[in-house]
Amino acid sequence: MGAHLAQTAIALPLIGAVLAFTLGRRNAVAYSLVNVATLAAWAAVLALVVTLATTPVTQHLATVGPLPLGRALEAPLELRVTDSGALVAAVALLVAACVQMFARWYLYSDPRYRSFAATVALFTGAMVLVVLSDDVLLTLVGWEVMGWCSYLLIGHENQQRGPRRAALKAFLVTRFADAPFVVALAALAMGAHTTRISDVVRFWAGDSGQPEHLRLVLVLGLVCGVLGKSAQLPFTDWLPDAMEGPTPASALIHAATMVAAGTVVLTQFDTLLAAEPMARLTLVVVAGATSVFAAFSAFCQPDLKRLLAWSTVSQVGLMLLGLGALTPGASPDAVLLHLVGHAFFKSLLFLLVGWLSVVVGSTLVSRMTGATRRLPRTFVPATLALFTMAGLPPTVAFISKDALLENAARAQAGGHVEGLVGFVLLALVVVGTAAYSARAWLILQHRTVLERRGERQVFTDSHTVRDVDIVEMLRTTPEVDEHGEDLDVVAEVEDDEVLPRPGMTTRIGLWALALGGIFGGLLAFTPLLNIDMHEMNWPMMGASVLLVLATGLVVRIMSLRQLYGDAARRLPKRLPLLAARSFGLERLSMTLVARPVLALARRAHAADRRLDAGSSALPALVARAGSSLDRAHGRRPSSGLAWVIVGVVLASVLGVTLW
Amino acid sequence: MIALLVAIAVPLAVGSALIAGDRLARPLGHTAAWCTAMVSVVVAGAAVVVAAVTRAHVDRPWVPQLGMRLHLEVDGVSAPLLVLAAVVTLLAVAVSARQRPQGTPGMFYGCLLVVLGGALAAFAVADVIAFFIAFEVVLVPMWVLIDRYGDPAAERRRAGWMFLLYTALGSMVMLAGLLVLVTSAGTSDMTRLAAGAAATLPFGIKMAAAVLLTVGLAVKVPLLGVHAWLPRAHTAAPTAGSMLLAGVLLKLGTYGFVRLVVLALPDAWRTLAPFVAIFAVAGIVVGGLVCLVERDLKRVVAVSSIAHMGFVMLALAAGQEIGLQAALYGNIAHGVISTLLFAVVGALKVRCGSIDLDAPMVGLRGRDPRLGFALVVGVAAALGLPGLAGFWGEFLALAAAWGAPHRPSTLFHVFTAVAALGAVLAAAYGLRILRAVWAGEAEAPRRTDTRAGATPSTVAGEHTTATSAHAEATFEPVSGVEGLAIGVLVVATIVLGLVPSLLMHVTAADLPRLLGGLS
Repeated sequence: MGAHLAQTAIALPLIGAVLAFTLGRRNAVAYSLVNVATLAAWAAVLALVVTLATTPVTQHLATVGPLPLGRALEAPLELRVTDSGALVAAVALLVAACVQMFARWYLYSDPRYRSFAATVALFTGAMVLVVLSDDVLLTLVGWEVMGWCSYLLIGHENQQRGPRRAALKAFLVTRFADAPFVVALAALAMGAHTTRISDVVRFWAGDSGQPEHLRLVLVLGLVCGVLGKSAQLPFTDWLPDAMEGPTPASALIHAATMVAAGTVVLTQFDTLLAAEPMARLTLVVVAGATSVFAAFSAFCQPDLKRLLAWSTVSQVGLMLLGLGALTPGASPDAVLLHLVGHAFFKSLLFLLVGWLSVVVGSTLVSRMTGATRRLPRTFVPATLALFTMAGLPPTVAFISKDALLENAARAQAGGHVEGLVGFVLLALVVVGTAAYSARAWLILQHRTVLERRGERQVFTDSHTVRDVDIVEMLRTTPEVDEHGEDLDVVAEVEDDEVLPRPGMTTRIGLWALALGGIFGGLLAFTPLLNIDMHEMNWPMMGASVLLVLATGLVVRIMSLRQLYGDAARRLPKRLPLLAARSFGLERLSMTLVARPVLALARRAHAADRRLDAGSSALPALVARAGSSLDRAHGRRPSSGLAWVIVGVVLASVLGVTLW
Repeated sequence: MIALLVAIAVPLAVGSALIAGDRLARPLGHTAAWCTAMVSVVVAGAAVVVAAVTRAHVDRPWVPQLGMRLHLEVDGVSAPLLVLAAVVTLLAVAVSARQRPQGTPGMFYGCLLVVLGGALAAFAVADVIAFFIAFEVVLVPMWVLIDRYGDPAAERRRAGWMFLLYTALGSMVMLAGLLVLVTSAGTSDMTRLAAGAAATLPFGIKMAAAVLLTVGLAVKVPLLGVHAWLPRAHTAAPTAGSMLLAGVLLKLGTYGFVRLVVLALPDAWRTLAPFVAIFAVAGIVVGGLVCLVERDLKRVVAVSSIAHMGFVMLALAAGQEIGLQAALYGNIAHGVISTLLFAVVGALKVRCGSIDLDAPMVGLRGRDPRLGFALVVGVAAALGLPGLAGFWGEFLALAAAWGAPHRPSTLFHVFTAVAALGAVLAAAYGLRILRAVWAGEAEAPRRTDTRAGATPSTVAGEHTTATSAHAEATFEPVSGVEGLAIGVLVVATIVLGLVPSLLMHVTAADLPRLLGGLS
């Protein structure tokens, strides 16, 4: 009976997407279709997890049937269910369900809610496919479909220029990084004469008899595609810009699907990675550098949603870093645990920021400050999520991070240079993560809501709302404290029953995510994940907690007597401005890639035009030749005709007589 | 067997009758001509399906004095192409219900039918000389479609001439190659050629035949360098004509390659393949680059065909069963996707005039979500999105090229990498199309013909609002037969993408036999 659970889990979201798109005339219908489908798929995966937890077997499952491609390539198109894969799929589906519920509220009166919901469902199905796939072709299908869905979701409001541009960029950048990825997958499959991933890995990890360095090049190709999808350097830029999409879409893309897919795929190929130290070192250096840079950038962002975006870049970098810094042959499940934890807290944070932005009107720090005080019921989940992100005990991030550090330390002890580099970078990222988490928390619960208090007084003093417009409100606001004058705190308790809030089930979903973040660490002790938690390195765990707490303290001190309680205001003014523009990465990619390609395209176009013009002279030439020949002949039957007739008669007479 | 003959004879006969009927004192009206064409295409289509399913086979003496036989055969290679030709023609006729021909309808539908009949004959015959004749039969009605029913704004006359001159030139070279092949091998039967009838010939002769055939067929595929007729023909042709060009005519070129070169002259092809692959890969890249800056939407779709055929030819050049599978799948997929895109572009052209990709936006998503969806599917499939038809041919072509045996492997590795980058260009111009046509809201009046915006107004602002309101009002969503036709193509694109094994099994049934001992 349990045989088809995996296929069901992939098919249900897809069916939901199709049904919602075709039948969901009314938003409510579309919503119930996709939500039922997602929840049912989730239930199927949970059943799968339970089955696997009791009988840990991996099984091969057929999908649309093998492709007949001759002897050169066997393409079975099968799935393979592993316990860690099922776990990741379950978390992805849980997040997707929460996102669907939240989107129903967030986009309640959106005229295109139907296509949004269908796209989210399609996206979910694609992610589950990537996670459970054991075939290069199926992985590519899921991989690219996710890319396409992200294009559609980011560009959901594409009547505006920003989302249009961001969507284009997201797809093009990831697609560009995918070119080496696709070639590498094709070459790996052709070398092994099969597209089944487990066989491909086995073939290439052994003595394949292929040319030297080829494997390294191919593994680097894989890594390149993963870096693109995970928005690592040099492809980072698309992800912060993708914040132009509606918040539920961001939550989905960032938490459990697209950016995490790269990590999942690399864990499937981790035996190959283990065999190539150069590839691992590259991964460690690039992902580590991205992670540190992104953490710093997150700390500087003047917009909380972009802060979360950069933190995603940093966290995914952390996962890839951890993967690269593994001792060859060690289980990569610690990375998957971090992925799971990240899915919980990041989706929760995005959804909360989306909720708060509906209340305060923007995600800018200046508007978001003190938001959780205005909406007290978000305070506890937001705090839990941020503490999880910072990696305080006993949360899942605490456990996964320490497992990653432990792995790197072991690799270093085993004499692998990636281990050492990885360990140092991991430690830096731990500090950075704690710093921006603390900054976000301090901003969200900032006590002296100076500006808003000013506004409120003007607001309540005026007789009608019409008397005061927003500009006037700001103008009459008392000059705020750059100098940090201590003003008394007004009790900012607004009746939050009247403020907009999502429905009951959605809030239950949010709480589920929060609790997942807190207690997800327990997964490390289940047989689902193969993490060695018996030899815990207590001194190192203690050190990392101290490090996080110390960073938090420093950030708290930095935030004192600052506007909005924003610790980043202590930085030079230029940094936040630069950070908001992604430190000029876009300009760099425009100069290095886009402009030369366009210039080349113009040349090609001009050459094509010349060819076209040249050959379109052909008809004229033929016509001129024809008409000149035509002129050479008189209009009346000439004497030549008589000669022709004579010739024909002569020839036939000769022919008949001589035959 | 009867079905196959019916499928070929009915369109040819009805088509000729319709063309002749135009000369009568009272030519047929549009509805009558359309209905006649529709009925005969449906009959032919049903017959084709029957023939394809039963693997019809006719082999009897025809002109015994010349040793010519009437030899028709449907196998795994030709069956999908036969069905594709019938379906594309059916949809082209259907789409013409709304996008009416500008001129006498009898001649128009007659030409469509003759193209179909000729193409079906070309796909079904197993005799290379008969293949050549059927091939040539297709060209003339196509020329009439471009020359008489084309878009006057797109220099239809010149486009028609270029089409005719280029393809006739290609045909002559191909004929020379065919004659070399047939006279030296002593048979004109494709099955015997594929079974190795030409294998024992001296290598020089085989090379000569292969080079001539390759050059001749390259014009029809088309490969880069001899492609200039294609964008012009597509731009000028009426929608139905463009659909037939993409879905039927281009397929004849690659089909000819498979039958006459790859299967009949395998060792000569092995030598030629790297050179053809160079042009194929160059076509992928240059086609992609041109599409990045070309402004006319219909021309972009046309030029993108060169890139797609580049993938097909790269797969053919790679050889092996996987290469042929990739090529044949890519061929069918391109037929469906390109036809879909031309149908959508044609629908847009009727409603908003020619579309300039650098001008203000059309905002199709808001104006007609269904047509917008069709465009999104078409573009996504054209850029090779997995899960849609275009992916399988493209990825398998890359895989086949990487693992091509008996070829210079480093060169083919480079080809694979460059082709993969060319696919990125496809993504770039695909999104460019979507940004200009699908995304956003309509920004300005799009109708470029004289009827719209003709009301003179002194106040500029007033003028703009008046005409944009007009454009808004005149945008009539697709529906009826036209919508149905586009819907069928969308569904076909998705199904071919989701269940590739369906079609591949049809081809795979015969490929090992045809490839024989070929490595």
